[in-house]
Amino acid sequence: MEGQPKLVPNEKELTRIPGAEPSTRIDPWWWLVVAVVALVVILTTTKPDPFGRILLFVRDGIVVTVSITIASFVFILIVGMVGGLGRLARNRFIRGISTLYVEIVRGIPLLVQLIWWYFAFPVVIQQIGRWLDIPAMANYQANAIFTAIAGLVFCYGAYMTEIYRAGIQSIPKGQTEAARSLGMSYFQAMRYVVLPQAVRVILPPVGNEFIALLKDSSLVSVVAVADLTRRGREFMAAHFNPIEVWAMVALLYLVMTLFSARIVAWIEKKTRFER
Amino acid sequence: MNISEPIIKIERVHKHFGRVHALRGVTMDVQRGEVVVIVGPSGSGKSTLLRCINRLEEYDLGRIVVDGIPLDSAQNINTVRKEIGIVFQSFNLFAHLTVTENLTLAQRVVHRRSKEESQKIAIELLTKVGIPEKACAYPIQLSGGQQQRVAIARALAMNPKIMLFDEPTSALDPEMIKEVLDVMLALANEGMTMVVVSHEMGFVRAAADRMIFMDEGQIIEEATPEKLFTSPTHERTKLFLSKVLHM
Repeated sequence: MEGQPKLVPNEKELTRIPGAEPSTRIDPWWWLVVAVVALVVILTTTKPDPFGRILLFVRDGIVVTVSITIASFVFILIVGMVGGLGRLARNRFIRGISTLYVEIVRGIPLLVQLIWWYFAFPVVIQQIGRWLDIPAMANYQANAIFTAIAGLVFCYGAYMTEIYRAGIQSIPKGQTEAARSLGMSYFQAMRYVVLPQAVRVILPPVGNEFIALLKDSSLVSVVAVADLTRRGREFMAAHFNPIEVWAMVALLYLVMTLFSARIVAWIEKKTRFER
Repeated sequence: MNISEPIIKIERVHKHFGRVHALRGVTMDVQRGEVVVIVGPSGSGKSTLLRCINRLEEYDLGRIVVDGIPLDSAQNINTVRKEIGIVFQSFNLFAHLTVTENLTLAQRVVHRRSKEESQKIAIELLTKVGIPEKACAYPIQLSGGQQQRVAIARALAMNPKIMLFDEPTSALDPEMIKEVLDVMLALANEGMTMVVVSHEMGFVRAAADRMIFMDEGQIIEEATPEKLFTSPTHERTKLFLSKVLHM
């Protein structure tokens, strides 16, 4: 044996993994993002009235839409992981709860769920508070942002549970067996062996969920959250120019979704590996 | 602990897969330092028996005691697993980790060894199985024989007292079988306790202290390889061995 073998792979060796070569070429679909952004810029500069005014008016709505989407998604990823592990648990009770959650939640429209969380849930809390004589609960008022995030997380968590479950199941059983036979606990085997591989498998559907969530977040406008859609409606109500307002709002959503799709594609490429 | 006690004691173990009675009251012992090879037709329960020893497979009835520890509680099972290494037919290397990481992961999270120590052990073992130059490769970049040697090194990194081999060469091309068998032979010569499910008669002749013939979930016959090859008692053993020996 000549010399001391290296322990840490250098960049060059890593790039030789089949199918994982980082491409120096920029993803060709970026031009579409650029084109839509350019269209927004051209519209607002050539016709500042009404397009520039619409953009100024709805910009805080964009911030709300993006914040709610990202905040919800962080919790959705956690709920999905817990739910996915629950769906595959050996314990029949845990498995039952997780399955019940998925089956019920994905059978009810998101809009109905959001309305329930905003209008019905606070009343339920108030009633319980009155029965138990807890003033804090009896005087509970719905918080619009909290309600929106809770509703989105509860609903999308169920879809994400199924994605995690499928991802974990797609990892051959031998991987868990090898980890367990080396003395790892169930959670260690999940944490170090199964989940890191499952996450790469589920990345495309998870990316899809993010984009779907970004669009579905427009539904929170019905529960008094001043997101992009609601700000658009407010502007239209004041100036009555539906064509310009909704063209602008649609374009802004398109910028966000196309941009997200490119980011997802980039992450996918980065984390790809062959088995 | 009494050193003359068998390191593995299996007593009247039964196992069902649904309606299939896979193990029908198997009783056997393995002594310290012994190399036992189990042969038998497919479906005879030999892999199931092997997987029961480290409780990858649960059994319905009977008792297994490894190194004085009965396999009856989750804690005991985990203790026993730390003492037993297993090598699978399909290698089961962690696909997302490099060879070195495959060898160091369990050392670090189970034995809580430092990064430096576990890497040092990893390199020693890779040198022992003859592929130190593959330390940074991913499993997909290795041949089957190399993957299986990494799998053996990964098991050895946990300092097991017993090594189980579940048809370690069955998924390999003929020219790669020898490199894996050489590693197993070296291990046997070092005095490792080994239970091997394999039909490699070359390995049996060179290394096995005892050979067990199983059929339909039962041990039909056990003896030294020489005795089984030359004068098997049972007709079924004779028939089976005549087939594998004249391949």
